[in-house]
Amino acid sequence: MSTKAIDKNKLSELLNSLLFKQTLIAPVEAEEDILLFKNVESADQVVLDYQNTITPVKDWFFSQTEELFEFKNKITELEINDLPATDGEYILFGARPCDLKSVELLDLVFDEDGEFSDSFYKEKRDRTTIIGLSCSEPGAYCFCNSLDGLSPTATCNADIMLTEMDGDYLVEVLTDKGEKLVSDNSSYFSDKYSEEDKETRTEEIVSNMKLTVDVDDIEAIMQKEDVYLSDYWQELSLKCLGCAVCTYICPTCHCYDIRDYSRGNAGIRYRCWDSCMFNDFTEAAGDHNPRPTRRERVRQRFMHKLRFFDERYGDTGCVGCGRCLEKCPVNLDITRVISDVKELA
Amino acid sequence: MSKNPLRPYPATITEVRDESVGIKTFKVVLDDEEMMKDFNQEPGQCAQLSIMGVGEAMISITSPRTRSEYLEFSIAAVGKLTDVIHELEEGDKIALRGPLGSSFPYQKMQGKDLVFIAGGIGLAPLRSLINFVFDNREDYGHVDIIYGARSPKHLCFKEELFETWPSIDDVDLYLTVDGTDEDDNWDGRTGYVPDYLKDVDPDPEGRITVTCGPPIMIKFVLEALQDMGFEDEQIITTLELNMKCGIGKCGRCNIGNKYICLDGPVFDLTEIKELPIDKEL
Repeated sequence: MSTKAIDKNKLSELLNSLLFKQTLIAPVEAEEDILLFKNVESADQVVLDYQNTITPVKDWFFSQTEELFEFKNKITELEINDLPATDGEYILFGARPCDLKSVELLDLVFDEDGEFSDSFYKEKRDRTTIIGLSCSEPGAYCFCNSLDGLSPTATCNADIMLTEMDGDYLVEVLTDKGEKLVSDNSSYFSDKYSEEDKETRTEEIVSNMKLTVDVDDIEAIMQKEDVYLSDYWQELSLKCLGCAVCTYICPTCHCYDIRDYSRGNAGIRYRCWDSCMFNDFTEAAGDHNPRPTRRERVRQRFMHKLRFFDERYGDTGCVGCGRCLEKCPVNLDITRVISDVKELA
Repeated sequence: MSKNPLRPYPATITEVRDESVGIKTFKVVLDDEEMMKDFNQEPGQCAQLSIMGVGEAMISITSPRTRSEYLEFSIAAVGKLTDVIHELEEGDKIALRGPLGSSFPYQKMQGKDLVFIAGGIGLAPLRSLINFVFDNREDYGHVDIIYGARSPKHLCFKEELFETWPSIDDVDLYLTVDGTDEDDNWDGRTGYVPDYLKDVDPDPEGRITVTCGPPIMIKFVLEALQDMGFEDEQIITTLELNMKCGIGKCGRCNIGNKYICLDGPVFDLTEIKELPIDKEL
């Protein structure tokens, strides 16, 4: 690992040069004020002075819809074929620390070593170099600094991390993939900064955090039966509209549905994001539903983020990005839920 | 690219049997011989069955791996996919992936006396274990099978119930039906499974029980077993929720820190008691 610098005006030159060989995925303004990670054709499109994108980077590794295989079927004939695998190399530029952390968490779900590792996710992960971008001005809904191992400049699993300084960026080269990118493009980088410079800058940025929440012991508190069965979830669920925006924009939500699309004797099976906020998500044949009302569904979302994910994978399922606070039409606020639940215990 | 875990493989239906009212048993063979040979399911495990263009469902494999030339699935027509499966005939194609999910602890059960308690189509998952036990008869002790269905017509696996299993050494079968029609010609017991269990009253010493059936039956059976003095580790059952991926990722069968499709469907009562479940459920 090494620390370097890149001038602001050289950054877009670097991105343009990378574009020749690799596909660049970066934040672009898809419509007015709608910032999304998208394939970029020229570095001019890349937005640098943003707080966060609407959808998180999971959108790249775990697509909103993904074709799983194709089939040809008649009653007594059946052919099933994998689709051509992703080839090429990718650079994901501009992921914020919260989204970087979310990729660490999604790795635990999709890229585990077992026999059921998700080949689609894994292929994209292996082929993507991640350039993270520290937040210079944390937003009004950001609370990453309240969570373990996170801060507005945390490098998490980035291959390269950029932190905005005065006139240039401090560059941390963190992995072999990162080393390779920097050594292949060494003319863009200079030696100027040290680890201490990063620490000083981090302190400066953290002092601008507006929202904090005390998450100490939240998992243990959520494990109490009284909390699980509390009337609180009923009250909380009364205002939920069940729109599921919180789960679609959540960087760690990974639920999906599987569907077929066919015409005549051929078709594809695909998956698409799904949400535990929907009534039919858990509805089984014979009308049995283990989460029949919003009470169970709202509780499930918070229990999964703050307790179940941690129990299973050893890390909290929330990265403090604040997207659900910002977009919830009825202000259902996870930071408020955390402090309310602490009161219950 | 690593193996696509959501892709099923073509298989052929080699036999269809009418099992009981609305239930058929399908004998299925994977078209790839190597894959069929290596399938090697453990008792209680499931497979995902697909009809392309219709969908996929997680179904318990009702045949044991000791009969490895084929896989059997007993399926009730209760939804969009299973209705279509019921129209299939010998020679038709189906797609299959697996084996998936946890299995009955057949190794831990060796040397023990066993009680199988089932209702309706709930005998299907147990049948893989029952026939596995009978194919390895010397490894297991006395076997009691307590089984009930709505009516005599609703009993599954009649040939095994009335001919094959009773002829095996050290096996007692206790059959009951909720009620009968005039044309049923039933001279056996009428009544519910949990009541029959109480009458049979098996001694917990050295015994393991395995239960599968409708939720209401499971509830009363589990209560009865605990009243009889069975410890939680001696009480094994299965849980079932709506599933899609079958590999613990798509999220819908999540309860607490478990995914029923991956960590289940088989659980013992110790594990079930650790799950966060609303008391009223």
